[in-house]
Amino acid sequence: MTLFHFGNCFALAYFPYFITYKCSGLSEYNAFWRCVQAGATYLFVQLCKMLFLATFFPTWEGGAGAYDFVGEFMKATVDLADLVGLHLVMSRNAGKGEYKIMVAAMGWATAELVMSRCIPLWVGARGIEFDWKYIQMSIDSNISLVHYIAMAALVWMFTRYDLPKRYRLPLTLLLGLSVYKTFFMESFFHVFLLSSWTALLVKAVITGFLALSSLALFVTLVHGN
Amino acid sequence: MLEEAGEVLESVLKASCLPLSFLLFVPAVLLLLGPPPAAEAAHEFTVYRMQQYELGGQPYGTRNAVLNTEARTVEADVLSRRCVMMRLVDFSYEQYQKALRQSAGAVVIILPKAMSAVPQDVVQQFMEIEPEMLAMETMVPVYFAVEDEELLSIYEQTRVASTSQGSTSAAEVLLHTATANGFQMVTSGAQSKAVSDWLITSLEGRLTGLGGEDLPTIVIVAHYDSFGVAPWLSHGADSNGSGVSVLLELARLFSRLYTYKRTHAGYNLLFFASGGGKFNYQGTKRWLEDNLDHTDSSLLQDNVAFVLCLDTLGRGNSLHLHVSKPPKEGTLQHAFLKELEMVVTSQSPEVKFSMVHKKINLAEDMLAWEHERFAIRRLPAFTISHLESHRDGLRNSIMDTRSRVDPKTLTRNTRIIAEALTRVVYNLTEKGAPADLQIFSEQMQIQQEQLESVMDWLTSQPRAAQLVDKDSTFLNTLEYYMSRYLKDVKQHHVKADKRDPEFVFYDQLKQVMNAYRVKPAIFDLLLALCIAGYLGVAYVAVQHFGLLYKTVQRLSLKSKQQ
Repeated sequence: MTLFHFGNCFALAYFPYFITYKCSGLSEYNAFWRCVQAGATYLFVQLCKMLFLATFFPTWEGGAGAYDFVGEFMKATVDLADLVGLHLVMSRNAGKGEYKIMVAAMGWATAELVMSRCIPLWVGARGIEFDWKYIQMSIDSNISLVHYIAMAALVWMFTRYDLPKRYRLPLTLLLGLSVYKTFFMESFFHVFLLSSWTALLVKAVITGFLALSSLALFVTLVHGN
Repeated sequence: MLEEAGEVLESVLKASCLPLSFLLFVPAVLLLLGPPPAAEAAHEFTVYRMQQYELGGQPYGTRNAVLNTEARTVEADVLSRRCVMMRLVDFSYEQYQKALRQSAGAVVIILPKAMSAVPQDVVQQFMEIEPEMLAMETMVPVYFAVEDEELLSIYEQTRVASTSQGSTSAAEVLLHTATANGFQMVTSGAQSKAVSDWLITSLEGRLTGLGGEDLPTIVIVAHYDSFGVAPWLSHGADSNGSGVSVLLELARLFSRLYTYKRTHAGYNLLFFASGGGKFNYQGTKRWLEDNLDHTDSSLLQDNVAFVLCLDTLGRGNSLHLHVSKPPKEGTLQHAFLKELEMVVTSQSPEVKFSMVHKKINLAEDMLAWEHERFAIRRLPAFTISHLESHRDGLRNSIMDTRSRVDPKTLTRNTRIIAEALTRVVYNLTEKGAPADLQIFSEQMQIQQEQLESVMDWLTSQPRAAQLVDKDSTFLNTLEYYMSRYLKDVKQHHVKADKRDPEFVFYDQLKQVMNAYRVKPAIFDLLLALCIAGYLGVAYVAVQHFGLLYKTVQRLSLKSKQQ
């Protein structure tokens, strides 16, 4: 549409990150460079994932319309590397738990935002054609911010030395959910043919559930013992 | 350990009982909602531009090709600088004029997919409108598109948006902008410009008669090009695909007769498929000039018996012989007329045959029939056609499609012409042959399949003069076909004079048009307000995250104490 429309989408996508960065107190810790480092780790991990996928996974040639469940599942499994990457970021930062989680999640999510949404927005939202998908993409970036914060918190809890044993199972379950979330939803949308708005709603609800559960676990772990 | 884990999970579930119930509830709702509406994206379709040409210094058709405006239908109040979409089914000249008077930015006329399914009255009406559209001074581009599902849906959405304009309150308009789509029509091509050095090609072939030099020559002529309001849509089945197919069939029949010594007649037959027939017979004009003025010996110069022009022969139960001067008794022309009359009355009594006499009007821009080109050069000529008047809209219409030609009628007309011609060539009547003698029967039959396949081939492509290149496959095929039966087949080219061109064609006649979905500026403003509100809420939520944290802490502690 116009530059104004691009501005709208850009504001919707980026301002929540900015607000989170400012209000969570990260700016007071001078954590900017740490976030950039986390972003660099994100890039590195993605590169490794891509190399791995390109080497070991043949391209799916099942024809249009068919959905390769096994292949997609295997690809989602590769996303476990994200968890390792997040752990790597957090292990290299010293500080309080919340601080580590926020730095890792903010750097990670911002890097993803810049890498995977900036160019489509710039190219698409400024074109003549109006499409709701750019607004949806911006909302989606907000959801993924929440998602990465929850994921970082789960990784942090999982890798604690003093983790009580009874926490292991729910943590594993939630980690599994966070990694395979995209795969589950893709399959779900594929089977039920949802419209993009309902899909976005489902995504928001699941991510909200994941985030609240992680928060509850975090609270019980930090303050319960 | 598992028990403990279960305990923790339970506390988690309790703390997040609301999201969980949502999780179970939402899929059920989604299943009830059913499949989503079909995805809509920018639609790309081919459009055919209205004619743009100059003939004798006079411009015709539209003068513009570039289009980048929002779509409306005629129902809208304001049409200025909008692209007005119309459907052929409810197209009227008044609406078209109204749109142009309101200085619309462009007009797109949507044609139905199957032209044969259009009701007769609409076809008739449109045929009458076509010449008026071309004659009118049109500064904006006019395009024709063939309808498909997407285009129809775009049209419907535009119509709904156009009709709801102006009669609603501000709030309704705001709501409408968020839900409804506007469409921006954009063509990809550049501005149209005159094509320089365009060659109009005509084809000539002959069958030489028996008996040395100075034999009389009969010339059979049909122009092959078609004409309609849009060059790419003019298939010209009846005018003049039928004439060309009759010409080719005559060439086939007489080439067989001329191969045997016994049936080799003392007449030269000269066949001429002329180009540019719809542009004042440019091909014929140049051919005559070349033959009469520039060369010393030519069949046309010496002893021309008569020139028979074939035009629109594929329909109807009448045949008219158009002459500019009634033939005198004793001439071959007169003999042919008599033979035609006799063949029609004795062999096809259902056909109404008459001679139509019309003097050449040199004051008019366009010559009426092709024979007038010959008559001006004092060659005895006439045109045979089922049309009574040269003004008939059928001769210049995009509605003249294959389905409008009846193969049976075409075959019958071919037979009548062939019989009459043979009677003249072999002088059969004076030799005492009966009136109902059928010469073309059994092996020499007029082949209806042949005529039909030639018609199919002719109408499978638009043959507008602007589109038939001198190297085009159409001309190559025609040349090949003629050279199968005729001798000395060669091309004649016409190029318009550089300084004072008699005809000028323009390009950009076929383009790709994109329909982009757009929203008005007010929508962006509205969206900006919504986003600002959302960001405000997000800001407050992040600021007061501690509240949520505390609540969760209290809840988890409580469940622990229990």
